[in-house]
Amino acid sequence: MAVHQLTDKPPRMSLAAYFELLMNLTRREVKGRYSQSLFGAGWAIAQPLAMMAVFTLVFSRLGQMPSGGAPYPLFAFSALVPWFFFSNSVNSGTTSLVTYRNIVTKTYFPREIVPLAQVGSRLVDLAAASALFALLMAYYNVGVGSWIALVPIFVLLLVLFTLGVTLTTSAINVFYRDVSPVVQIGLQLWLYLTPVAYPLSAVPDKYRPYFLLNPLTGVVEGLRAVLVFDRAPEWEVVSISAALIVGLLIASIALFKSTDKYFADVI
Amino acid sequence: MSIAIQLEHASKRYRTGRSRTFVDLVASSFDGLRGKSTDVHSATRGKIDSTIHALRDVSFEVPEGAGLGIIGRNGAGKTTLLKLISRVTWPTSGKVRVAGHVVSLIELGAGFHPELTGRENVYLGAGLFGLTRKAIDRQFDAIVEFADVERLIDTPMKRYSSGLYARLGFSVAIHSNPDIVLVDEVLSVGDASFRRRALEALRGLIANGKTVLFISHDMWNVRRLCSQILWMEEGQVRAYGEAGEIAERYMNEVNLQALANQGTSLQSHRGGTGEVRFEAVETFNGAGAATSLFTSDDTLVVRGAYTASKAVQGPVFQVAIVDVDTGVIVTTASSAGRQDPGVVVGPGEIEVRFTSLPLRARQYILRLSITDAHQLASYDTITAGPRFAVTGQGGGVDSLADEQDGLVNLPFDVVHRTGRARAGSRI
Repeated sequence: MAVHQLTDKPPRMSLAAYFELLMNLTRREVKGRYSQSLFGAGWAIAQPLAMMAVFTLVFSRLGQMPSGGAPYPLFAFSALVPWFFFSNSVNSGTTSLVTYRNIVTKTYFPREIVPLAQVGSRLVDLAAASALFALLMAYYNVGVGSWIALVPIFVLLLVLFTLGVTLTTSAINVFYRDVSPVVQIGLQLWLYLTPVAYPLSAVPDKYRPYFLLNPLTGVVEGLRAVLVFDRAPEWEVVSISAALIVGLLIASIALFKSTDKYFADVI
Repeated sequence: MSIAIQLEHASKRYRTGRSRTFVDLVASSFDGLRGKSTDVHSATRGKIDSTIHALRDVSFEVPEGAGLGIIGRNGAGKTTLLKLISRVTWPTSGKVRVAGHVVSLIELGAGFHPELTGRENVYLGAGLFGLTRKAIDRQFDAIVEFADVERLIDTPMKRYSSGLYARLGFSVAIHSNPDIVLVDEVLSVGDASFRRRALEALRGLIANGKTVLFISHDMWNVRRLCSQILWMEEGQVRAYGEAGEIAERYMNEVNLQALANQGTSLQSHRGGTGEVRFEAVETFNGAGAATSLFTSDDTLVVRGAYTASKAVQGPVFQVAIVDVDTGVIVTTASSAGRQDPGVVVGPGEIEVRFTSLPLRARQYILRLSITDAHQLASYDTITAGPRFAVTGQGGGVDSLADEQDGLVNLPFDVVHRTGRARAGSRI
């Protein structure tokens, strides 16, 4: 029989068990969200598709928004796909620990798995929306070039940023429920402060530095550059975003791990 | 023998009061700037919040392979104790050390999702206890077999009954390769046969050198499973020691308190037409002293004073002993056919003597009634009369085998013969 040492440290979970639990919770989320709905995962593409239609009408037809020569619907959709991944993850991730109150207060497991699973479950939506994006590219007869090789980097940045924000908001929301409404309002405004419906080049120079402080700017602009326009992203913008994202992620992990032992007490 | 669990001056304070809002955050930051102490537990001003001590300076050790019962009243800190040991929460001060893999059954199937099938939930639930897919694969058949859910394993769990849900939750927990198992009052769900099997399984774990902590209000289950008992009271350790001794002290105190708290007045709303009413009912022992505590050798005397507001021909007085938990009537003593009181009017007294009490050690309620001579019309009915308790005989754990469950002690002998049976029907 194995001899166990007395310890006052939290129990260690093997890496394999950790990832399998993350997978299982992700599956639970996906299945819980789409079971007993007729349209199923189709809802994952309906959201960006509907927004694309509205943006096309408002910004392109009525507002004469430039789209750099690309078809405006494609231009908007390429940014709406990552945007909705981000905003849906943050929205459900923020309240996830409170939603999982039942297991958080009754069993020990690494708490970050809960918001991580929320982000993970939105990857399924992201994949579905990306497939639709590929169809739209074909429909508009826009070809891809070698710059598409950079897509994984931007997706990684997108996921890391989403994780950073979700870990932060989910941890604080355990203590202060105000976070959830603040996040909801914030996300609505954030959509318009990110170059989703318009290109960064349309932003007046004096506001440009503020837009660069938004890590999503580099991600969205970069994805659009390599996918829709098949050209190099603006490296200056991308590197600022990447630095901000890494910094935020480190800070968010530190915040989460320093507060998570109190979750069960206050949740 | 090595130590499985060790608490050193562990205390746990909780904030009570409203949930915190952003206003509180600003306020507490302001307090912090002014030098008032703030911490993550008390970020509010004024009297909005107060802290409660769920545990105060608790120290004890549990050796590996022990079965430890944790008893105490609601709010004594029993569940907080388990949460500290399972790392769901952390002590405000002091140390909590554990050795090995802890599995908590604070709520059965807490990690299950109703939309997932039983199979998927087994992997999810065991994963929450830290098992890998491979390890679960090895245990899967045993889990399903123990829970007895073969037929429904690929059905979403929302179709399960609550008993089945709990069974699968229990099965996953005990098959999650635990070194320490924490059980919190979870055996109250499920049917009797499952409870029996669950207790057997927990016993098996102890026999295999696992440590089991068991919270229950059911003293019988505690004593069947546990050799040691930890008695918690108001967040502190009241007593810790040999199960039989602690259980008896605890039961005597619980009984005494409950009996001391009972009002002397009889319940005001009661049945019956009221021609004859009990005025007072008291219990005495054989020596004539008023008491509520009896051993099974004692004589129980129930004395009821009554008043008949008008002349009544041959009323029948009945005294029944009712078990507090199950409501089973153990005994009914009736004056019918024994002594005809004739016509009663004005005050009188009836006395019923039980010359021995072959009852299990627990609390009982007296039920009294007065009916007419034909026992058709009721003059008075007291459904919850005075309580009394039968206390244990001080036998240790060893005398508490399964067959000592139940309500009554019937005197019996056992004769064993070898060879062919001499009498009786063959099966």
